[in-house]
Amino acid sequence: MLLPKFEYHEPTTLEEALHLLSELGGNAKVLAGGTDLLVRMKLNIDKPTHVISIARIPGLDAIVPRDKHGVTVGAGVSAAALSRHELMMDRFTPLALAAGRLGAPMIRNRATIGGNLVNGRPAADLSPACMVLNAKVKLKSATAEKEVSVNEFFRGPGDTAIEPNELMVSINVETPAPWSGGSYIKLGARKTLEISMVNVAALLTLKSADGPIADARIAFGAVAPTPVRAYGAEEFLVGKEPSDEVFQQAGEIGVGLCSPITDHRGTMEYRCMMIEVLTKRALKQALERAKSWKP
Amino acid sequence: MKSIIQLVVNGESVEIAVEPNRTLLQLLREDLGLTGTKHGCGLGDCGACTVILDGSPVNACLVLAVQARGRQVLTIEGLAENGNLHPIQKAFVDKGAIQCGFCTPGMILSAKALLDTNPKPSETEIRTAISGNLCRCTGYQKIVEAVQEAAEVIQSTEVS
Repeated sequence: MLLPKFEYHEPTTLEEALHLLSELGGNAKVLAGGTDLLVRMKLNIDKPTHVISIARIPGLDAIVPRDKHGVTVGAGVSAAALSRHELMMDRFTPLALAAGRLGAPMIRNRATIGGNLVNGRPAADLSPACMVLNAKVKLKSATAEKEVSVNEFFRGPGDTAIEPNELMVSINVETPAPWSGGSYIKLGARKTLEISMVNVAALLTLKSADGPIADARIAFGAVAPTPVRAYGAEEFLVGKEPSDEVFQQAGEIGVGLCSPITDHRGTMEYRCMMIEVLTKRALKQALERAKSWKP
Repeated sequence: MKSIIQLVVNGESVEIAVEPNRTLLQLLREDLGLTGTKHGCGLGDCGACTVILDGSPVNACLVLAVQARGRQVLTIEGLAENGNLHPIQKAFVDKGAIQCGFCTPGMILSAKALLDTNPKPSETEIRTAISGNLCRCTGYQKIVEAVQEAAEVIQSTEVS
């Protein structure tokens, strides 16, 4: 497996990287962890004439808490770092859990959150997790900067709101309200090195330890051309007392919001059944964590 | 265009000119002759090319040589000291955790990265740590046992 030839750039400042991107645009690809890009280049799917490595730009690999209000995750933070970070595990649970299920240990040491989102794969692990956390991605070009909700970021398989002259620099996440708990479930034929057949992220917020549901967020991966938020199922849950029955009903509503296909990983029918089951399971796990929420 | 990079491989400083499309795996095997690191799938799926880069196991087939500039690389050749096998290597031999041997360098380095950060891993932690290393011979059981034995040996030598 040989890599085709390309010109390599290794900017050491963000300005330099953005300048290169504005100059080279569509002819260049950004190299972060390389676990997707280098595979696609070896398989001749991507054929960039220029590769811009962002690994030597300082600060892109930092997880910076913003008081108690939220956290800014650099786009170059590895999945391994996310999965081991105590604050991420405690307050942003779906993201830490999803990062711990991405690929395999060696892949997690290289793969970045920015890369996982920018690739826009329908089955990506981190996308549904970022969606239930209402994460916003910061996209920078040489001349402008914008923030896009991750819920509006994905447009189709491999297609996102990022422009060729833009770089994703960070992911901003607000801390979920008190009495919140989150979960992430990935279903595949194997435990590791697996691309999801169905994945579900959930975040549940209670009014109090044994109170009704104040807020619910559910997102699915690998069941539509993009990862999807199950807004209909979320609205159904708000105000209700949590129980297996309402979680089951939320799962049934969730199925109606997806459009899975049949492929070598699983059939449409099986995926639909699993959306229902996994939604219920993800909500139950989120509920347990919400009940044991600590300030 | 080639660029000259400097990196540390198994404790020794190396300076070498590389093309940007050369992988760390090619640099190790073809330029430095360190063929202990295996070329399996070339796509990050099999783990045969596992090396330890700045303390973390990575697939050398998915790292550009230029990305390793200024970094520390440990390959299987760097484990034995003064002709004595590393305890993990010895445990793999003693426990029969090697059959064809193709996955072994990667397995051992994944195990080393685990034991360096977690000297007393549970069986689940061991299985997770080697989950990116595929073995088509052993069924993994003897590999897990070898890592358990190596952990005990390393622990006991550190105490005494």
